[in-house]
Amino acid sequence: MIEKLKKLAKEYLVSGKVEVIFGLREKDNHLAPHIFTKVEELDSLVVSPQYPLFYTCRPSKKNIIRLIEEKYPDIKIGVIVKGCEERALIELAKRNQIEMKNIEILGVACSREEAVECKCPRPYPNHPLLGEKVEGVFEDKNIEGLLNKGWSERLAFWQSQLSKCIKCYGCRNACPLCFCQDCAMEQELWSKIGEIPPEIPMFHFIRFYHLADRCIECGECEKACPMDIPLLTISKQVRKDVKELFNYESGLDVKQESPLLTTLDEMPMKEGANE
Amino acid sequence: MKEFEPKIIGFCCNWCTYAGADLAGVSRLQMPPDFRMIRVMCSGTIDPLFVMEAFQKGADGIFIGGCHIGDCHYQTGNHRTKKRVAILKKILSYLGIDPRRVRLEWVSAAEGQKFAEVVTDFVAEIKRLGPNPLKRKFEA
Ligand code: SF4
Ligand code: SF4
Ligand code: FES
Repeated sequence: MIEKLKKLAKEYLVSGKVEVIFGLREKDNHLAPHIFTKVEELDSLVVSPQYPLFYTCRPSKKNIIRLIEEKYPDIKIGVIVKGCEERALIELAKRNQIEMKNIEILGVACSREEAVECKCPRPYPNHPLLGEKVEGVFEDKNIEGLLNKGWSERLAFWQSQLSKCIKCYGCRNACPLCFCQDCAMEQELWSKIGEIPPEIPMFHFIRFYHLADRCIECGECEKACPMDIPLLTISKQVRKDVKELFNYESGLDVKQESPLLTTLDEMPMKEGANE
Repeated sequence: MKEFEPKIIGFCCNWCTYAGADLAGVSRLQMPPDFRMIRVMCSGTIDPLFVMEAFQKGADGIFIGGCHIGDCHYQTGNHRTKKRVAILKKILSYLGIDPRRVRLEWVSAAEGQKFAEVVTDFVAEIKRLGPNPLKRKFEA
């Protein structure tokens, strides 16, 4: 499939449909995002579920796509995306973090094995140019274990998990949707600076709540966590709730506004949810 | 054994619930003493982080009072409150904090009676649920 993708990317470049291609490059056995400008270069193009393309760059807290847009405002850029990356782009555009004006999406679907590896619920972009739309992964052994337990057992589970936290901020830094200039997780008001583990569950609650309507279920937070805390378990469940409550899913459509930014008239909530 | 005296924080909207509470007071309705009120300008200003912070600091229950839908003085502040509280409760439940510890009620300035009733009911509920489980950490 990668050969097909290289061919397609080359066609895009040669025909002038785009002027550069943004994707992953393999060089000296390392993968890194790269802006391909020449056809020959595209021989080193790769796609990998293990390496996300879009991250929030620090200290500017701008997405890499935004930085590219700012640097090359008049260049048409082809961007190679997997399903999760497309959802990130859509959600970022919806929240005015990127423009997308000069972005041409080249979507690639992941395989079922890759989806299982990532616990991905939607392993394909809206219109994949390559690959098949295979079924996503919805079950999560952690949450199934949790939902059948009482309050105190759940709390004990999370207290033991979250107390492993070394407060590296990896989960936040890896998240494509964490872009606030002033992050509440860094504020003394909510979580004491220099204290490890951070206040439980406040520190992690900030992320779970702030990402409730933004999380695109890419799993980067959990993959980034050096302490193997199952962060995705809660985010996945909350995303499911948001879908049930508001019939809303982040990352699918730029025009669909978040339920938390709209009124009940604009986007009603399923009744009985406050009980 | 000493009876459990819950600490309950009430975030109440200035325009309705706070006035409703005032009316309940003026009408000398019986009210449980365990209720500490924080006046806010609109229920829409209540960030779920406030609620978590209150739990973290040892509150056993958190009451949120706002204007009825349609009556918010800032038009749709309470629409957001309703949506946020729904999500907040879900997250609390996954973390193992009984979501019944958070109660959202719409109480108008004229509903002193309703205020007294819902608060009494909430206090009784929190007494049933017992102390905030996050607190054990401090007491141990
Ligand atoms: S899965 Fe984690 S990293 Fe990805 S969007 Fe959701 S919270 Fe952010
Ligand atoms: S990545 Fe893991 S250890 Fe680091 S701050 Fe997040 S939860 Fe804590
Ligand atoms: S003014 Fe009372 S809820 Fe907004």
